[in-house]
Amino acid sequence: MTTSTSAPVTAPTQQAVAARTRGLRKEYGSTVAVDRVDLELPEGAVLGMLGPNGSGKTTTIRMLLGLVRPTQGEIELLGRPLPDGAEQALPHVGALVEGPGFHPFLSGRENLIRCAAFEPLLEKRRIKQAVEDALERVGLAQAAHRRYRGYSLGMKQRLGLAAALLVPRKLVVLDEPTNGLDPAGTREIRRIIAELHDRGTTVLVSSHLLSEVEATCTHVAVLHRGTVVAQGELTELLQAGGSALQVVTPDVEKALSSLRQAKISARPLGEGLRVELAGTSAPQVIETLVQAGVGVYEATRWKTGLEELFARLTEAEEAERGMSAVDTLDGGPR
Amino acid sequence: MITRQFGSEVRWMLRRPRTIIGLFGLVLVPIIISFGIWTAGDGGGGPGLAAILQGNGMVVPIFTLFLSLNLLLPLVASIWAADGLAGEAQHGTLRGLLVAPVSRVRLLFVKLFGLTAMSLFAVTLMAVVGIIAGTAFLGTNGMMTLSGTTLSTGQGLLRIALFVVLVTFQMVSIGAVALAVSSTTEHPLVVQAATMTTIIVFQVLGQFSSLDWLHPFLITTGFPGLIDVMRDPIPLGQIWDSTLLAGCYLLIGTGLAAMRLITKDS
Repeated sequence: MTTSTSAPVTAPTQQAVAARTRGLRKEYGSTVAVDRVDLELPEGAVLGMLGPNGSGKTTTIRMLLGLVRPTQGEIELLGRPLPDGAEQALPHVGALVEGPGFHPFLSGRENLIRCAAFEPLLEKRRIKQAVEDALERVGLAQAAHRRYRGYSLGMKQRLGLAAALLVPRKLVVLDEPTNGLDPAGTREIRRIIAELHDRGTTVLVSSHLLSEVEATCTHVAVLHRGTVVAQGELTELLQAGGSALQVVTPDVEKALSSLRQAKISARPLGEGLRVELAGTSAPQVIETLVQAGVGVYEATRWKTGLEELFARLTEAEEAERGMSAVDTLDGGPR
Repeated sequence: MITRQFGSEVRWMLRRPRTIIGLFGLVLVPIIISFGIWTAGDGGGGPGLAAILQGNGMVVPIFTLFLSLNLLLPLVASIWAADGLAGEAQHGTLRGLLVAPVSRVRLLFVKLFGLTAMSLFAVTLMAVVGIIAGTAFLGTNGMMTLSGTTLSTGQGLLRIALFVVLVTFQMVSIGAVALAVSSTTEHPLVVQAATMTTIIVFQVLGQFSSLDWLHPFLITTGFPGLIDVMRDPIPLGQIWDSTLLAGCYLLIGTGLAAMRLITKDS
């Protein structure tokens, strides 16, 4: 896995795509913010864009929305090349980029009405209703008359979401949508994303919160140092990460030596050990342990979490560059 | 679609607290002038227009606008231009408009329209208040011109309307240049400072006769000539020159702003 991190995990498919970038590069002066980004956003997918702060997520999104001109590379949004096709594509795209942007002296409702006035797909007579619906949808109806200045971070975020949802969209782009939200607010965002997904809307969510992505996304793209280090369906990516067995036992030493004799790699972890299932199977491991007289209290299949995958993808690269000596999570022999 | 965007822009500008405060301030100018002349009585007066103000209330709007054009109106125009692009960028609302999407050229026209509509409104408001305050404090009997003739009230109003249009045009031209500055920054104050500095420096430069060659290019050089509206009959030469000069500023400002906006990363 560590050797193949720079290549996309799944080959580009012939499936319809909502957005696609090829060889995207953006330089700001002498710094390269994003380089060689080949992103593919399948229609109907919920793509989680993961990456540490400063990995180029927002820059990529801004280029995808025509806000920023790429130094190099091509972008296709809803079948239209950018920036020329922006006027045809963007009306179908709702976006919350780099935090919500609104006028502090207007109320939440007035702010949305101003946004709505510039939505090409919204007829004038439907503006009022669309605004109320959007406010209702994000749970801001009660606070809609208050000035934006007095909104909490969570309310601001919700209003940003409401603006993105003013019109039924083909693609919704949410840049760090749960920033500043409490757990209830986060669940709400997940619910909205799930709703959009059910209706067939393509969603692009960027986040540095892995659990958020794991809970809501069908696809993942991992960005690191301005480039895509992995992308594909979430389940496939996780499977490719290999699996392990978590065994709870009091006899860690004995268990380790017996497994070592059977040429199964394992290492102590928590109240027991973690056994790699490469070249072996769970029953075999348990059999080995029981025959060696090790008391097994509990054995659970350990699925690679996104967190682990993420750590491996981003840290492995740093180790390759000699940036960090931090061991990757499973440093045991294979 | 565009009318709806124009409407939204003007509503948005009118909802700003600073716009309301600014308009209120502008309206005070003709009132204070009328009151000042009234309290000064017959001993008041001064050069040019000020000399004929006593008992000539219809001149107050012209006098007010003429005075304000030097500093106050450019300031107001620069504030609107600053909020229009730099302010929107600062609040992150520019991104929202561009993603909506509003094409960048269209956006500039929406901003220019907002600036024009609000300038016309502000100048008209000052003129109307000027007429009322001037008539109330100083009385009126037609409009006495700088040429010594007296115009009927109707003709006087026409002169005021003409002056309103001319002053608005100067204001919008300054605002267009301010919009060009506004498109390059996220800091509204930079726009205001740059615009006002330019206006003041231009006026200072206009004082040096050694810089004669430069004067025809300074927009402020055209301001005094506009007062020809108060002569009878109106000599069009200076008025035309001033307006043409302002037109050049308008075109250059709009052009630069468009060029910048089209390639801008936001």
